[in-house]
Amino acid sequence: MASVMKSLTRPMTAEEREKAYSTPKKPDVMERQRLPVRYHVEDFNVEDRPRRFLEVFASVLQHHPNYRLALDHYMRVTTRCARCAVACPIYDATHDPHDIPCYRSELLLSIYRRHFTVSGALRARLLGDPGLADEKLQEMADSYYNCTACRRCHFECPMGIDHALVTHLGRYLLSEIGIVPRALVVSTREQLIGKTANTSAIPLPALIDTLEFLTEDIQDEKGVHVPFPIDQEGAEYIFFTSVSDFMMEAETLKGIAAVMKATGDSWTIGSKYYDGINYGLFYSDQVMEHVLHMMRAEAERLKVKKILIGECGHSARTAKFFYPTYCGGKNALPVISILEYTQRALKEGRIKLDPKVVTEAVTYHDPCNIARPGWIVNQPREVLKAFCSQYVEMAPNGRMNLCCGGGGGTVSIDEIRPFRTAVSGRLKAEQIRRTGATYCVAPCANCKKQLRELMEDQGVECEILGLHDLIYKAILLPPDSAEETAAAEAADGSTASPAEGSPS
Amino acid sequence: MPSYECEGRTYDVDEDGFLQDPGLWNEDVAKDFRGTEGITELTPDHWKVIHYIRDYYLQFGIAPMVRKVCKQTGFSLKEIYQLFPSGPAKGACKLAGLPKPTGCV
Repeated sequence: MASVMKSLTRPMTAEEREKAYSTPKKPDVMERQRLPVRYHVEDFNVEDRPRRFLEVFASVLQHHPNYRLALDHYMRVTTRCARCAVACPIYDATHDPHDIPCYRSELLLSIYRRHFTVSGALRARLLGDPGLADEKLQEMADSYYNCTACRRCHFECPMGIDHALVTHLGRYLLSEIGIVPRALVVSTREQLIGKTANTSAIPLPALIDTLEFLTEDIQDEKGVHVPFPIDQEGAEYIFFTSVSDFMMEAETLKGIAAVMKATGDSWTIGSKYYDGINYGLFYSDQVMEHVLHMMRAEAERLKVKKILIGECGHSARTAKFFYPTYCGGKNALPVISILEYTQRALKEGRIKLDPKVVTEAVTYHDPCNIARPGWIVNQPREVLKAFCSQYVEMAPNGRMNLCCGGGGGTVSIDEIRPFRTAVSGRLKAEQIRRTGATYCVAPCANCKKQLRELMEDQGVECEILGLHDLIYKAILLPPDSAEETAAAEAADGSTASPAEGSPS
Repeated sequence: MPSYECEGRTYDVDEDGFLQDPGLWNEDVAKDFRGTEGITELTPDHWKVIHYIRDYYLQFGIAPMVRKVCKQTGFSLKEIYQLFPSGPAKGACKLAGLPKPTGCV
């Protein structure tokens, strides 16, 4: 696999660039922004911002010594050689030095060097450096959301700097002084303190209605009763998925339910908390921790044995890699992704897929959050190759894949759609176009939304769907037993009734 | 707070042009807002989708699942996109006076 990406497209023209960065809406708060992200700011005092930023920085370093370790090391070894530029899809489009990953990291590293090391303090005294200025914070705010946090650059860094980690920390610090995109805050606020406790504000009765509808839909299409269990205490798996799936991705959910039905494992959706989304990964460790605790509380309430995450890259990554950190260490419940689950079930012969159903060309897009660490790369491919007669690979793929262009929370920021489809997703569009596939499988709610917009704006004819959408087309379900038919008739297409009361 | 004016009527809207108070919706709102969604005329097909979404919202407090809109109104997803170019989650919800969907929608 070639580690250095050769650009698939010509450089952007000045005109295209202007269009991508322009917006009809005026940004609210920040001055001289390149990218028109609307930031959410409540308590906004420009004079005091640098001081507050340094205070936050100091307390984060105190409470998370690992960040200090990483910054200390990165600050010493960074050579600013810009080798990472070749791996960055955004730099490939803009050719703007501000978009080089190590330039972005240097913004924060230089503050660390100046304010949190002895040599930096001495040098500042010698040279009369006044310290952090507000302009620098503005540049950081602008720069950190110009990145999709796809982490592709860290493969290229000869010194091993994880630029996405520095970006993550930079976003966290900025969020603590109130600089964070509005779109993210509105969603997490509903999730953490809202009545519905999920990012899309779906109330429980609407969820139940949706699940009943899906059961009916499967009955109509496949003639089999496939339930979506709610609040089944003691089930093997508790299922969390990006809650937007309950509005947008009927086929994915039907495919997942069909797989669970075929394997016969018990699973459940929790009525008090059913959202897998964790935007904390994109801007705040604190939010991430709170959301994971909500997940843990629901899993413990229902006394389940494992946590099953649906088709969603960032929720799978936060649950898999951070759930043990915040929720019990070695004693934490095991977390698996539905992609792993389905592959294992297929391997064990517990699900049967009809190889004659999907005959169109199918390609696979690796969501960065699950593919970059090398966690889920081959599993979905094994499943696809088992029943899709025409499977084509895009290049680069797997751990070296290109981001869909909407990673790091940017997909929720609607006002920067021109940027996402013309700059950050430009290479991806070309890559998908060149596969000539009819279907592009992208098992991630985030990637699906971004890729659909990308296909539309870039005029590529390719249908974006989830892995379980295809599985649903091809899965062979055994007919209902007499008991199940009776149960289906008794329930009259309805799912198990949930516990009383609304989620709190 | 931004506002939107059409034919002498003024509406309080959010930054994305969605009606600020969903309770203030009536059929005039859909007619007045259609311009912002690039729709020249509201046909009976449009109204069928708008009324379905609106009724569902009044009952459940959220827009219905896209698949449900298709199945209940009998339109395919493609037809819905032809009716509402920015899609069911944005365009149709805006005309039906729902708040802007949040999260990965």
